[in-house]
Amino acid sequence: MKPLLEVEDLKVAFDTPGGRVEAVRGVSFTLGRERLGIVGESGSGKTMTGRAILRLVQPPGRVTAKRLAFDGRDLLSLPERGMRALRGRRLAMVMQDPKYSLNPVMTVGRQLTEGLRRRDRLSAGAARRRAVAMLEAVQIRDPERVMGAYPHELSGGMGQRVMIAMMLIPEPDLLIADEPTSALDVTVEAEVLRILDGLVRERGLGLIFISHDLPLVARFCDRVLVMYAGRVVESLAASELEQARHPYTRGLLRCLPAVGGPRGPLPTLRRDPGWAE
Amino acid sequence: MALIEIAGLEVVFAARGEAVRAVRGIDLSVEPRESFGLVGESGSGKSTVLRALCGLAPVSAGRALIDGRAPPALGRIGSRDRAFARRVQMVFQDPYGSLHPRHTVDRVLSEPLLVHGLGGRRERDRRVEAALQDVGLDASFRFRYPHQLSGGQRQRVAVARALMLEPSVLLLDEPTSALDASVQAEVLNLLSRLREERGLTFLMVSHDFAVIDHMCDRLAVMQQGRIVEVLDREALARGAVREDYTRALLAASQAHAPVQ
Repeated sequence: MKPLLEVEDLKVAFDTPGGRVEAVRGVSFTLGRERLGIVGESGSGKTMTGRAILRLVQPPGRVTAKRLAFDGRDLLSLPERGMRALRGRRLAMVMQDPKYSLNPVMTVGRQLTEGLRRRDRLSAGAARRRAVAMLEAVQIRDPERVMGAYPHELSGGMGQRVMIAMMLIPEPDLLIADEPTSALDVTVEAEVLRILDGLVRERGLGLIFISHDLPLVARFCDRVLVMYAGRVVESLAASELEQARHPYTRGLLRCLPAVGGPRGPLPTLRRDPGWAE
Repeated sequence: MALIEIAGLEVVFAARGEAVRAVRGIDLSVEPRESFGLVGESGSGKSTVLRALCGLAPVSAGRALIDGRAPPALGRIGSRDRAFARRVQMVFQDPYGSLHPRHTVDRVLSEPLLVHGLGGRRERDRRVEAALQDVGLDASFRFRYPHQLSGGQRQRVAVARALMLEPSVLLLDEPTSALDASVQAEVLNLLSRLREERGLTFLMVSHDFAVIDHMCDRLAVMQQGRIVEVLDREALARGAVREDYTRALLAASQAHAPVQ
């Protein structure tokens, strides 16, 4: 089967007054209808990889790739118009922080129905019904109240679920979720993961799950890419994380405290300049 | 006598004409040199307990004492508050938000000394340099601004600032939850070392059971403004947990446990 997404030698560079900064330095992978995790520390280029796929990197950032194709279509040569159409319907991204990604002066209901009315030309009533149904799907108990609420009236967990609902309304084929649960409590996190998991299984969604939390990704995803300094240093099945070979991956796992673990100083990561080569 | 003494503490906020009971009657005491943890989900009231202890949240009923003394009144600064600041300092969750963006590290660290009239210029210089060294930053960091530092370096500066007045109690509000795992390990190690060297007492808040377990001798699990269970480290290691809520939190944190 043809992959949903093909990425070959993806690079993102910024020309700044202080010189050239290469945020992503030749990342390659393919994605099917599966859960792919991208992990790494802040600054490793994982978010930039996600944004580059959706062509959301702003100048002076420049994106190049040998191949960047979604469902067989080349994304790099697509005019912005075509890209916008794809982004609305087939590609979506959930950002980390609902506080900054929802419009603070628009009710949730208006934000959720805007696309349905403009893009899909639905009537107000039909758009509203779709939005309420999607809020129910992300386990919001009182969707009618939430429709009339402003973002600041929602808790972090509710805001995050509203964003996920918004991204899922057009039923995308590919969802890039950037730290979608790191602002959430563990119980809400489990709920959000269950929702995403259901979408991959039932609707055949392709999911790129970006996170700094390696154990979480190992538990949730099918495959994991480990990024360091703009490159993929290791790629492995999530179930094989215990057998990770790269010293960076192993170091990241070892430095986490564990309940009932030893009391002495935690192992820290000694970075080898060679990892960035 | 316990160094931190909390009895029947209630914190009530007024929001849109409604009373929100953030802390609903809790008791706990922390001995000198002990490291005590508060663990719970967001909204459980754990941070509010810290804030009430240092006068950043109202004590609506009961008491919250450090060294037998109540925190300074909200919004007023007097000489009594300066004495309080020399005993108790707080480290906040977000090093991006808790350092002044237009003050150099040098200014951040010397300000407490100036406010408290401690030492002349040379003495201040010496203490700023020593403080940087204590938190593992070399002298080249002294005249940098917060935006020129990484998250971990900023949190080191925040720890150094909290220690400038040589307090005996540190209130730590999620001090590593904004940091990457590798940087978290470094900051936790730093805090443990400083506690040992200086005989500090910690009251530490986190949503992360593993972090609290690693850092604390005893811990209280909070839910909806109440303490549901107090555990020591040994009971936790044996899994001697009474409450379902604690068990659920623990299970969630162990699902994240590293692969050995």
